[in-house]
Amino acid sequence: MKNSTLLFRSLAIIIFLAGSAHLIRLGRNYTTDQSNYDGVNNYNKTTNSTIDKGVNEGFTENNSNTKKKNDYNENSDYIIGKWIVNYKSDEFNGSLVYRVKKEGEIFNAYTLEYRDKNGNSQKAEGNKVLTIKNFDGYKGVGIYRIEYEGQEYNVDCAIDMVDKNTFKLSYEYYGYRDIETWKRQ
Amino acid sequence: MIEILSKKLEWLDVQYWFYVLNDLSLIYIIVPFFVLELIRYAFKKRLTKDLVFDSIANIITFGAFFVIEIILGLLAITKVYFWIYNNFSLPHLELNWVTIISCIFLADFAYYWEHRMMHRIGIGWATHTVHHSSEHFNMSVAYRFGPLDAIMPIIFSLPIVMLGFDPILVLLAEVFVQVFQTLLHTEIIGKLIKPLEFIFNTPSHHRVHHGSNKQYWDKNYAGIFIIWDRMLGTFEPEVETVRYGISEPLNSNNPLKVFFHGINRLIKKINSVDGFKNKLLVFVKPPNWMPTTSKK
Repeated sequence: MKNSTLLFRSLAIIIFLAGSAHLIRLGRNYTTDQSNYDGVNNYNKTTNSTIDKGVNEGFTENNSNTKKKNDYNENSDYIIGKWIVNYKSDEFNGSLVYRVKKEGEIFNAYTLEYRDKNGNSQKAEGNKVLTIKNFDGYKGVGIYRIEYEGQEYNVDCAIDMVDKNTFKLSYEYYGYRDIETWKRQ
Repeated sequence: MIEILSKKLEWLDVQYWFYVLNDLSLIYIIVPFFVLELIRYAFKKRLTKDLVFDSIANIITFGAFFVIEIILGLLAITKVYFWIYNNFSLPHLELNWVTIISCIFLADFAYYWEHRMMHRIGIGWATHTVHHSSEHFNMSVAYRFGPLDAIMPIIFSLPIVMLGFDPILVLLAEVFVQVFQTLLHTEIIGKLIKPLEFIFNTPSHHRVHHGSNKQYWDKNYAGIFIIWDRMLGTFEPEVETVRYGISEPLNSNNPLKVFFHGINRLIKKINSVDGFKNKLLVFVKPPNWMPTTSKK
């Protein structure tokens, strides 16, 4: 068999196999987007007042400049602001304050401040730890950067708003699951 | 159907099923089957001293291979694979049935090419000849490995990681292909029904692969699916009785000799050819290649 035939047949097999998996991924993303869109509409109808309050409070903090911008999304941008998460492990016992910013169409969270259990605080390095790629105001997905034994891993995560001032960030990494509670600062 | 196939799966469940299929298979199928083969050998009066020592040598080579595999595997998975996955990969695929099935097919296809390369380039054959050097054919032969057998799979599965498949899933799929391959090393099972023989690699197809009969050389490279051989022109059915082994028999069951004989032969060949370019070509040219001018 000619080398060119081998090459084309092999490429066709690879494209078919990997393509099927990616097509399903794209199809699922599309379906999720659609259902999220419907969900947002329903959610807005029923919890309009709660969200509005959240938008106002979250927005006030980053207010003056962004308020004037036309690209402000009432449904989702209330996540912008400072959030605090408590951790209790052998490595760290205290809390971390993050700042969520909107950058382009996505939200990024940066470390802002460490606080130990005695209330002592220290400025953090400002590392980007979370990228929220898709957030509709009550659910979102993104990439969470976790560190384990000195190695950094990018893990898919999900965000679920509990109320205007609290959301759950959940992730699973090869069987290790965790849910963090982020509270508005 | 698509809904089920695309439903997100939990890592814990997937790892559990691969654990049952990959790791535990040694206990519930491979060892019992090997015992059955030994009983059959005894019954047919073929349980010779040579066969017993050959089987012991097979297991010892596996031990040596396993140590190398663990070191290389850990390095590759924790460092190279994840670095590639995080920096040079298509969008990451969610863990669902379609991803798992595609990954197994791709791992099997990668295995086909990796296996073909092991036969068709000098350095590949130098290590893989160990696996083919046994003149017997049973489950223990599946564990007869050469010192560099772990390298090719790592190289050939990197593209799968680049296609967005999780490195751990790729590793699990590769082991699954290897476990399936192990089960093919038997003379007990004859030919299966035609649809199975057409799609899957079977003991019959794999006996051909181990044949030293001229028409069986470099045929049936497949892991799970024989369709790759059919599509890429390397399929050969089992017709003539298979004579196992290699064209230059090893005639030894010394585990050290068995493990390193391919590398030794490669070094001898490198020494026998003239010119630096030719010496390099010995590594990448087919095993039977010789330059037009050589010392011997």
